[in-house]
Amino acid sequence: MDNKNIQISFRKGMTKRSFVLMVVLFFLTFTGNAQEKKMITGTILDNTGVPLIGATILESQTSNGTVTDFDGKFELLVSVGSSIKVSYMGYITETVQITVSVNSPINITLQEDAFALDAVEIVAIGYGTMRKSDLTGAISTISSEDLVKGTVTSTEQVLQGKIAGLVVTQDTGDPSSGSSLRLRGGTSLTASNSPLIVVDGIAGVDINIVQPSDIQSIDILKDASATAIYGSRGANGVIIITTKSTKRGLSFNYDGFTGVSYASNHLDMLSADQWRAYVRENGLTDAIDFGGDTNWQKELERAPALTQSHSINMASGNENGGLRASVSYLKNEGTVKTTEMERLSASLNTHQYALDRAIKFDVGLFANIDKWHPLDYRIFERAFNLNPTIPVYDHNGDFTAVGGTLYENPVEILTNRSADNKRNRLLGYFKTEANFLNDFQATVNVSLEHNASTGNTYKPTYAVLEGRSENGYGQKTYGEYTTLQIEAYVNYTKSLGNSNVNAMVGYSYLDNGYEGFGAQRSGFVSDLFEYNNLGAGKDYRLGDVYSYKGKSNLASFFARANYAYDSRYMVTATIRKDGSSRFGANNKWGIFPSASVAWRVTGENFMEPTRDWLTNLKFRAGYGVTGNQDGIGEYKSLSILGVGGDSYYDPATGTWSLAYSPAQNPNPDLKWESTAQLNIGMDFSLFNRISGSVEWYDKRTKDLLYTYEVPQPPYLVGTILANVGELTNKGLEVSLNANLLQNDKVSWNTNLNFATNTQKIERLSNQVYKTDIIYSGSLHGLSGMSNQFSQIIREGYPVGIFWGYESAGLDDNGEFILSAEKTAIGNVQPDFTVGFGMDFSYNNFDLAFTTYGSFGQEVLNATNMMLYDPNRLAAYNVPDDFLDSGINSAPAYSSYWMEDASFLRLQTVSVGYTIPFKKSSSKLRLYVLGENLAVFTDYQGVDPELNLTGLANPGMDRFNNYPRPTTVSLGLNLNLGY
Amino acid sequence: MKIYKTILMACTVLSVFACTNLDEELFDRVEDEDFGKTPKEIEALVGGAYSSLRGFSDAISNAFPASEYVFFLNEVVSDEATLPTRGTDWYDGGQYQNAQRHQWTPENGMILSAWRYCYAGIAKINAIIYQIDKSGLSEDDKKPIFAELKSVRAYYYYTLLDLFGNVPIVTDFEDLGLPSNSSRKEVYDFVETELLEALPYLPATIAYSKFTKNVAYSLLARLYLNSEAFIGTPRWQDCIDMCQNISGYSLEPDYFANFATQNEKSNEIIFAIPYDSDAGTLGNYMSSMSYHYLQRFAVSPTGDYQWSANGMCAQPGVYSSFDDTDRRKASMLAGDQINLATGSVIIMDSGQPLTYTEEISNFEDAKQNEGVRLHKYQINAGDQWERDNDFVLIRYAEILMMQAESYVRLNSPDLARPFLDQITARAGVETPAIIDLSYLDKELLREFIFEGHRRTDNIRFGTFFQPWWEKDATPAYRAIFPIPTSVLNTNTNLSQNFGYPN
Repeated sequence: MDNKNIQISFRKGMTKRSFVLMVVLFFLTFTGNAQEKKMITGTILDNTGVPLIGATILESQTSNGTVTDFDGKFELLVSVGSSIKVSYMGYITETVQITVSVNSPINITLQEDAFALDAVEIVAIGYGTMRKSDLTGAISTISSEDLVKGTVTSTEQVLQGKIAGLVVTQDTGDPSSGSSLRLRGGTSLTASNSPLIVVDGIAGVDINIVQPSDIQSIDILKDASATAIYGSRGANGVIIITTKSTKRGLSFNYDGFTGVSYASNHLDMLSADQWRAYVRENGLTDAIDFGGDTNWQKELERAPALTQSHSINMASGNENGGLRASVSYLKNEGTVKTTEMERLSASLNTHQYALDRAIKFDVGLFANIDKWHPLDYRIFERAFNLNPTIPVYDHNGDFTAVGGTLYENPVEILTNRSADNKRNRLLGYFKTEANFLNDFQATVNVSLEHNASTGNTYKPTYAVLEGRSENGYGQKTYGEYTTLQIEAYVNYTKSLGNSNVNAMVGYSYLDNGYEGFGAQRSGFVSDLFEYNNLGAGKDYRLGDVYSYKGKSNLASFFARANYAYDSRYMVTATIRKDGSSRFGANNKWGIFPSASVAWRVTGENFMEPTRDWLTNLKFRAGYGVTGNQDGIGEYKSLSILGVGGDSYYDPATGTWSLAYSPAQNPNPDLKWESTAQLNIGMDFSLFNRISGSVEWYDKRTKDLLYTYEVPQPPYLVGTILANVGELTNKGLEVSLNANLLQNDKVSWNTNLNFATNTQKIERLSNQVYKTDIIYSGSLHGLSGMSNQFSQIIREGYPVGIFWGYESAGLDDNGEFILSAEKTAIGNVQPDFTVGFGMDFSYNNFDLAFTTYGSFGQEVLNATNMMLYDPNRLAAYNVPDDFLDSGINSAPAYSSYWMEDASFLRLQTVSVGYTIPFKKSSSKLRLYVLGENLAVFTDYQGVDPELNLTGLANPGMDRFNNYPRPTTVSLGLNLNLGY
Repeated sequence: MKIYKTILMACTVLSVFACTNLDEELFDRVEDEDFGKTPKEIEALVGGAYSSLRGFSDAISNAFPASEYVFFLNEVVSDEATLPTRGTDWYDGGQYQNAQRHQWTPENGMILSAWRYCYAGIAKINAIIYQIDKSGLSEDDKKPIFAELKSVRAYYYYTLLDLFGNVPIVTDFEDLGLPSNSSRKEVYDFVETELLEALPYLPATIAYSKFTKNVAYSLLARLYLNSEAFIGTPRWQDCIDMCQNISGYSLEPDYFANFATQNEKSNEIIFAIPYDSDAGTLGNYMSSMSYHYLQRFAVSPTGDYQWSANGMCAQPGVYSSFDDTDRRKASMLAGDQINLATGSVIIMDSGQPLTYTEEISNFEDAKQNEGVRLHKYQINAGDQWERDNDFVLIRYAEILMMQAESYVRLNSPDLARPFLDQITARAGVETPAIIDLSYLDKELLREFIFEGHRRTDNIRFGTFFQPWWEKDATPAYRAIFPIPTSVLNTNTNLSQNFGYPN
């Protein structure tokens, strides 16, 4: 057997119940023998009854053997009295005596071998793969069947609640809103805190280029010893997505569902009757009753919103190569009118071997088109403001036009505008792998990612917001980026006795170019053209047309060495040198090293007595340095002149010209943020049924990028981007998987993950740049709170500390009792996050649920803060609960409005029934899936799950209440293999 | 050895791809060293000095001289305007209330905005001077350009002298050392010297919005008028002399021609900051900072007018201090606001009519319709948010009033009368028999209401330190503002102005 080829053709997750045929390169010869021969046939199954394809059947003491076919079947002519050994990677080898009485066909069931499974489970580690058993870093793996199912419009969501330490938050319930990923707390104040996404070896791509149905497995590289191979882009962790590739034989799959969604929650505002009762009881004679009865929140809603999704993929393959193609369509309507996400996507993967399998060519192509309608989020605040007696339409059938500021008819705002956005994504790669000199494999991967977005907006001449004042307003924008990457690396793999050695060196070059333009016009005579003919607008202003272009390069050299002895002692070391055009002239290159060790205790002889129950125990420790260069952006280190809105008047001609002005304070010392991380971990397995891991980490980020305020004078502008501060994240993660019950009919599995992270800003100042407090969590835009902030960033605290007056409730007059001094009144960082799920099957029925939750985070309910205002009635609406609140004081920011937003969300519940086909590799499954059926929380607002990331307004509920929908879907999976 | 050869081979293959060029390639902007090579490019650089006068808004402050917050600051600490809190509206951390009551602290965002407005402009001009100095232009060609740039910079230093007094003087773009304070006298001398040295090179023509000799004379006259207030040395005669250098301007027969949308046609304006929404100018939206939200229906029957924020208004007592015959009284908007579509009074969301009253019942919680509104600059149906009228900094009426005041200060009120008669005749009122400082103080209010002059005038006349509406007596040290906290924190070489906490 040739090890290298196993590494080529095995990807993680292909072992259990897979179609994949193991590559066996030796030829089996039949040698004539005088003994009595007997032809035996049979089927090899795994312990769940799924046929094992490619299991080896070998007559003992001979070279006579065969492998099972696609249905797990085999036939072999053997000598009577001999025995056959049935082996399959990851399973305990069985020996069967062949006597005269053995009757064909014989069925042999192989039992899983937990350790051996780890040994064959191949994990992507960046520029190579590794047997799970030999890993020294903290890497979590999730296979396709364990991804979150349902109306997923951003691929991030398939990981929600699945990985200890990975928090996925979709910004709102709008199906077009993106999700944020955060692994082990944020390391940056400025840069993106998203992990680096690697798809089929291509680093830094948009995760949404891949559709959930095309994902084979996802490996999450958490600690620095694992991510340091990605150098200046690895500080926030790395998510490696491996897409499904060709299988041997032919297959056809269809997955589809259709669902209905409803808004899961509302704020309970006064109804028209309640409003009238209040006005009557309080004798408010000036209050205007418009005679209607409108629930403004409901008026904005679409109930039910419909979703449909169809996904087809087909694959064919043989020993010389293969092809897989998929196409999928999703249309997901949002629960607020006009919102939706429509995605059409396709992918194509093909590979071919050449020169006796010495060379493998791989071509992959992914493309998708998204269409959606951006929402004007101002409608939510209007919906809470408007008096419930105002009818949506007046007696002429026109939108009721009412009053003053923040008082426009939200249905009018929603209706009288067109907003149509589109995004195209394309990712293609051509990869060549060459095996040479037995132990070497060279890979060259050339890839291109192209992402283009267009935006179209039109506000007609009669639209209340911006339409009327601009006499119609049209806008078109276009932006694109193209990333070209060339990566070349050589892996050396050698087994010598009990020793396994792997070494890799490589080089990568990345060229990212972006450009775009936009145009807007107003002053339209007719609304007929919408945004399609901007020339029809007569008003042109400076800035109505713009274009931009920029570029950055990243060059890297990297190497890794790994040594494993007897799968007991493992050591790995990596180093990467990154040079980026974004870095300042004085810091063009950074070096990112790491080292890690592991010890599999259960491999030791002295563990023999406990091996019955302690089937695996492994300790790991690693340390490494990684970087984050996202926050720099292009051209930030240079002294540049810009031209833009800076025009000046020439009295001689009476015309305006454009000025060129210095634009920023240059910083030639600009560089990456550097995160040093220590990780200590343990993997274990009990009785082959319960497995898990525990990780502890200490991340220390220095040279934090932040836009520092610099004194004026002498600086040109008030801020400079500089590397100054330090922050730490420490945490603990626990993952548990248990196979509670397993027999012919019943299977019951459960998984639980738990993570806690503590963040602290250690330093914000250095010799040059000094800052005591950075204000964040802006309240600007809320009435009377211009230029006010709710949060601070300060040494000794985590990011997102709410800083304000402590409230001891209300006094007898209904006024807030507030402390004299401002203090820390809340912390958006959760105490811990959990994910918990179960799946259960009985014969052909299956039942599963998943949940996730976040506990201990405190958020500002600014929506209530502004709505619980005695000045609002009778002109503006208030929540029902306000009337009983006793509040008789204008809104003021204090701890009174801080709430514990702990929650546990029942994310999915599914019930399915599988109709078996005669041919066991085909099946049809029907299911019902409920999403977001319940949220357990004490939070008073519409949804406790707020974006806790970023600096702008983490943990703030301020009229951005697009509720997450509750969805029930009916679906069908058809898998045909032939 | 095989392995050695292999590695060598692999390295050779890699080095073919191994591009390591990390220079940044620029497409849509230019590095400073590559710009300023042609006369057109130099013009574009000098233009930046003028465009800086419009101010800017960034994450730290809103530094617009014509609205938020530089204009706000000047107005709300004076006796002509107020920015009352209305419900939750316009509370904004109490920054306007504190300013109104003369209890501002160094943290006040309006004060930071004013500081940054000046120093951002100064730094930009220093950068432009540096850039042009490197341009290869002959020394003779540089002189008029530098004179113009340094004069605009002197305008910023004059503003700093007026607002903050003891400020650092920086002139070298390349020096990033943290400067320390200069005394108010040093700043005063710097402004005077810079302007006097520039004068020979400034154009003698009338070039609207450009820094000409006339503008320099006017600014020097202002400096001398306030000399006693700034440094304790009165220079009334110097003020008169400087005013008499000014020529080529006259009073517009229509007072409001100076504040019309097309006010660049005014023959009275000596220096203004030009605005044009089509040209993308920002920061000229004061008209939307005063009127009630529903004012738009009184401007256009279809409501085709910008949203207004229901903010600043005149202090109670100001409106009634104008004679009804005084044409300038129309600088304020009072009374019922009529919906042009229906012909009846606009009804507010509360159900009450929109009638602007002079009285403000509760400064901390004023009713929406209380306070008469700023109504000086022309508004039109269909106006953009960024208005097209230019913001007047110096007009000829001020030259007349400066001379009149200086003569009164020099105990020659009769010599003041001819200047005042021109002003009052246009306004449709009489010059009184007795011309004294008390009269001049009130006449300055009426002539220049809501033009950002009033704080300086209040200080010069001493009224600033006396109690007025919603304000107790003010200690003398508050004649200048404190250096903003965030500036002191980042520059430890600076010391705080006397009287203020560090």
